[in-house]
Amino acid sequence: MPLLELRKVKKIYKQGKIEVPALRGVDLTVEEGEFSTIFGPSGSGKTTLLNMIGCLDTPTEGEIQLNGNRISDLSKKELAMTRRYNIGFIFQSYNLIPVLTAYENVEFAIRLIGSLSEKKMRDKVLNMLEEVGLKGKENRKPNELSGGEKQRVAVARALIKEPKIILADEPTANLDSETAQDVIKNMIKMNEELGTTFIFSTHDPQIMEYARRFINLKDGTISSDKRRK
Amino acid sequence: MFSIRLGFKNLSRQKRRNIITIFVIAFAFFGYLFMESMMNGMEEMSFDNIRNFETGNIQIAHPEYWEEREEFPLENLIHWDHELEEAIGQTQGVIAASPELKFSANLNNGIDEMGVIGLGVIPEKYNKVFQTQDYFIEGSIAVLEDNKAVIGDRLAELMDLKMNDYIILLVRTKEDTFNTIDVEIGGIVRTLNPMMNTNTVLLSLNTVQQSLNVDAGVTMISLQTSEVPEKNIIQSLEGTFKDKGLSIKAYSWRESAENVIAMSAAKKSGIGAIMSVVLLIGMVGIINNIILSGLERTSEIGMMKALGMKEWEIVFVFMIEAMGIGVLGSLFGCLFGYIGVYWLVNNGFYTGAWGDMSQYGIPILDRIYGVWNYPAFSYIFILGVVVAVLSSIVPAYWAAHKDPVEAIYHR
Repeated sequence: MPLLELRKVKKIYKQGKIEVPALRGVDLTVEEGEFSTIFGPSGSGKTTLLNMIGCLDTPTEGEIQLNGNRISDLSKKELAMTRRYNIGFIFQSYNLIPVLTAYENVEFAIRLIGSLSEKKMRDKVLNMLEEVGLKGKENRKPNELSGGEKQRVAVARALIKEPKIILADEPTANLDSETAQDVIKNMIKMNEELGTTFIFSTHDPQIMEYARRFINLKDGTISSDKRRK
Repeated sequence: MFSIRLGFKNLSRQKRRNIITIFVIAFAFFGYLFMESMMNGMEEMSFDNIRNFETGNIQIAHPEYWEEREEFPLENLIHWDHELEEAIGQTQGVIAASPELKFSANLNNGIDEMGVIGLGVIPEKYNKVFQTQDYFIEGSIAVLEDNKAVIGDRLAELMDLKMNDYIILLVRTKEDTFNTIDVEIGGIVRTLNPMMNTNTVLLSLNTVQQSLNVDAGVTMISLQTSEVPEKNIIQSLEGTFKDKGLSIKAYSWRESAENVIAMSAAKKSGIGAIMSVVLLIGMVGIINNIILSGLERTSEIGMMKALGMKEWEIVFVFMIEAMGIGVLGSLFGCLFGYIGVYWLVNNGFYTGAWGDMSQYGIPILDRIYGVWNYPAFSYIFILGVVVAVLSSIVPAYWAAHKDPVEAIYHR
């Protein structure tokens, strides 16, 4: 059974009386452990597609199944619970909480799951920060970290709860090429070590090269879907 | 709980705005506590001054006289004799009784004339009920025995009178004929009751009774009582009067002070209005804070939603933040309030600049002292925190209700 399945997913935004289609019937299947990129020009629907998969938005038409559960018809509360337990997000602008330290930003995500003892939780957060190369910087606040370090905190935050899938919307867009490659390599490492499924969108051909599956989105439809041989 | 920690940590953001809100709340609460203390102090002082200089704790009068007492009639008087004095004195709870004959008169100093209230008293008995003796600037109440008069310092100033000057009181007798009382000023008082200082002339009861031709009549008898509840004493007295076939009644000082008590009731609604304004200030401050925080943290709220936080969990974070502001605002408010009330209790608030307080019907001289009302501190603290939390709910819900996609990509 595939981890993620989209069937004829359409999303139409209404701007007054005008209907603007963002996705025009997307069919997509993603298996567990894949490391995929969605690329395409601006306005092709990459972010809309990630939002649908990430339960942040619901399709106008079509069906989405995550881990065998139909998520396209869930209520707001059920979508929130699906995001909490199954989905990790990495955003272009990191979206860290500025008053919390790197440790606390990561801790925040695992606290929402709340199934571990204090000691295990602490060990897990520290291990995760070490995994993403932030050992010794646990107590730094976001304004004391570089862009790459901030994005690593975001990666750790997404991974800490061991979600089924991590969605990254242009995760390297705000980083210089060296830091961007560093972050993407970190994501690959996590994908290989933990088997977490990653889907990320990008414009950067250099970053794209690290993916094992390439989904090209054009005018709201998938124009090509290739796997690295 | 992590949300509590996050809520409190959020207080360190927008420090300037939070500090302003905290201090706005603190000063509003300070204002409330200060005003409340001053108004309660004013009430307490007014009541004390009425009891200590005008009425005693209980007054005895004919019901018909009581109804018209503001007109100072010389009808329906009480016949003051040894038997009545003994009957009153034997009533449980009565410490002392002072008969008085109150009348209206025109005071003439040879040049000017002004309306005054004359009061005939027996000095020895008067001293056991009232505190006037402690406030003599010159002379003493004993001079009444020598057919001299005692006046207030303000009256002396107004009529340009001093010790040993002679005054003429033009009065109407019981038969409505004119008569005069010529007396020398033997004492000048400055009591805490401005009415006493401004328009009262104390005379010997005998002199007044003869001048008004009322025999042994007195208008009222003022009583000093012990800790026995007033209600019980009044009941006992009225039982005694009934047994003796006397058509006189006993009245609590509160009935004499009904105007001041009415003002006190108005004061309570005034305090309520102040409280409403104070709470409104706090509410506006908190609502403003949460709305601005919600706007500034839109993308952060989006991230929280992406992490799977439910709306009420996000609302809870904002509520904790509002509670923090409420707690700090209330704490500082109580602290400033404590300092203000301490000053008011010990130094008093000088009201001389407002003129004679008696003009406004408040029997206080020139300085209002506050009183401590500790429950008001805990009350305002709890109310401040509760209002802060409650007023944060709607703006916090508004912030948490944002569409997650729009919130995340908000710039």
